[in-house]
Amino acid sequence: MRRLPFALGLIALVTASSAAAEIARIKQSSGVAFIQRSTQQLKPVPGFQLLAGDRLVTGKDGRMSLSFVDNTRFAVGPNSRISVSEFQYDRTRQRGSFVTQVDRGSLAVVSGRIAKSDRDAMKVRTPKTLLGVRGTKFIIEVAE
Amino acid sequence: MSWKYLPAAGFLLGGCATSSLVLLPDDDGRQGSLAVLEANGRPAQAVIAEGNSRTKLGDATPASRPLGEKGLNAREAALLTSLPPPARSFLLYFDQGTVTPTTESQAVLVQLRAEIASRSGPHVEVTGHTDTVGSETDNDRLSQQRAEEVLGWLASQGFDRSLMSATGRGERELKEPTVDNVSSAANRRVEVIVR
Repeated sequence: MRRLPFALGLIALVTASSAAAEIARIKQSSGVAFIQRSTQQLKPVPGFQLLAGDRLVTGKDGRMSLSFVDNTRFAVGPNSRISVSEFQYDRTRQRGSFVTQVDRGSLAVVSGRIAKSDRDAMKVRTPKTLLGVRGTKFIIEVAE
Repeated sequence: MSWKYLPAAGFLLGGCATSSLVLLPDDDGRQGSLAVLEANGRPAQAVIAEGNSRTKLGDATPASRPLGEKGLNAREAALLTSLPPPARSFLLYFDQGTVTPTTESQAVLVQLRAEIASRSGPHVEVTGHTDTVGSETDNDRLSQQRAEEVLGWLASQGFDRSLMSATGRGERELKEPTVDNVSSAANRRVEVIVR
């Protein structure tokens, strides 16, 4: 009988890790915008589920907005190339790590639970700088 | 390349490196900060903490300027406007041992339905909880059933199941801390987060 809770715990873990594959959902997009996933270019329709490693790409009139599972929110401006290079989140403990790389373009961020969980658990990399996010709202712009 | 193009080339090279940061207060008025951990490939230790400021990035010790009267430019303002709305949380309560929301919580279900319908590309996380009456195993099952019940109701209202997930946390996350085998209306709940 004592084994049962353990077995249930295992099932919960498996469910949690398969659900953790989804890191964010697209809320809106307009103009030329796509998600680059390895060699595929995917259309960011509302509800589209992002995975760690995905790159957000917009053209000169393109925009995208998305919400992450830790409640972080992004708005991506035109002419952007932004990768979510690392995203890990433990929903139960509300901790994780989150690295975004802004190669060019503009990004507005409202940070969520990962940034609150540990100092510099959320980082943003630009071509010249690595920033640690300490719970806040900000805009990064990288000119070409 | 003729000499005529040199100034333009110089401008492009200079422009290539330009990154800037605008730091704003949180929606609740609090001010967070950003740390410069690396600049030009070298470790750095600066902190940018001044709200409503603009900072050119690249130096190990960047200087921030207040946004001043001009405030945000049109591009920045448009970017902020396109941010998704913040996540919203709903709490539903249950009578002891049941999977039926209390009468008061039926009204919350209606608000919840309206909130999901108002969002583009919504994501709904349903998490069930119990009080400490009964065994852990039974409570794991009951909390999962409560979450499934709410998810099932939302599905019956026309929301696609792929938008939603249901998890049971049993008696692990008490809202009102109690010892074992204590009935608590505050702990018999389902939390729904809508993003």
